[in-house]
Amino acid sequence: MKKTRNAVFGMTFICALLGIIIGVQFKTVQSQNNNTLDNKRISDLTLELKKALEEKEALSVKVEEYEEKIKTYEDEVSDSDTSYNLIKNELENVKAMAGLTELTGEGIVVTLTENANMKSVAQSDAFLIHAEDILNVVNEMSVGGAKAIAINGQRIVATSPIRCAGSVVTVNGNKIAEPFEISALGDADVIEAALRFPGGVIDSLSPWGIDVSIKKVSDLTIPAYTYPITLNEYMKTNETGEE
Amino acid sequence: MRKRLVIFPLLALIIGAIIGIKSSFVFSPLYSKYVAIGILACIDSCLGGIRSQLNKSFDMFIFLSGFFGNTIIAILLTWLGNKLNIQLEIAAIVVYGSRLFDNFAQIRRFFIKKKEY
Repeated sequence: MKKTRNAVFGMTFICALLGIIIGVQFKTVQSQNNNTLDNKRISDLTLELKKALEEKEALSVKVEEYEEKIKTYEDEVSDSDTSYNLIKNELENVKAMAGLTELTGEGIVVTLTENANMKSVAQSDAFLIHAEDILNVVNEMSVGGAKAIAINGQRIVATSPIRCAGSVVTVNGNKIAEPFEISALGDADVIEAALRFPGGVIDSLSPWGIDVSIKKVSDLTIPAYTYPITLNEYMKTNETGEE
Repeated sequence: MRKRLVIFPLLALIIGAIIGIKSSFVFSPLYSKYVAIGILACIDSCLGGIRSQLNKSFDMFIFLSGFFGNTIIAILLTWLGNKLNIQLEIAAIVVYGSRLFDNFAQIRRFFIKKKEY
């Protein structure tokens, strides 16, 4: 009898211990599930995306505001003094080269399109347009003397990255999708010749079913680079060096 | 052991679970895998203990050593598996899981048999 009581007491104690552990573990797993991204409802994520986009919109409005301000300052200053006019002209040139102004002129528009049939027949990455292909086109355009280049409305500046990010291509950190419209200001004939060079860019793209259409435009508009330009501590001008 | 005495461990289990859930204590997510495998070993030991009590072959020392020993071995297996990049805990899950069913089947049989007489 005493043995039985001992046994029941022992069992009861152990079961209570087990129950506590199970309870705590239950709670642990529950709190884990709440924290993981997988279990977040898609609607929540969509809402967050929407919020982020709105924020971005608001910030770009702010950027425009500041740019407007800078412009008025520049105008005020340059009205009076002729030496300022020279500096202002210089500034305009530098800005145009840096890609900070919208430019209009004669140019060329190259449109890269993937072949939908080829893509569906062979499920291969080879038939997609890669960031490298776009980079090659941009590079050849520069060889042809293009001074201002934009891809799907994204102005290419000295620090513009063109890279593959999963299934999309990003330019200046912005996702862009096929068809890729690369526009450039410059002598359209020279640029086209650079692209059509035998064994050049277009020849290397055509085996993959990528369609390249070239269009000469007399009044092409290249948008300005819209992102804020920030200098960081790695950029130091060499004061003593020659120009 | 008389049948109605089974109610005490069961009650303790439920009360323990409630205490565990109500408490503010939470395991680190890092160890949650080990705790889970430990719980499985514990449940197996408890069912084994109940079965042996019903069979009147219960020994306190065997029960307690099994309870803690099995749990520690299961956790060590999981840890070793993590270090060797092999899912050794599956071995523990299969063995303890099948034994759990085995024990439960015997307990069930015991109750049904008693009812017949």
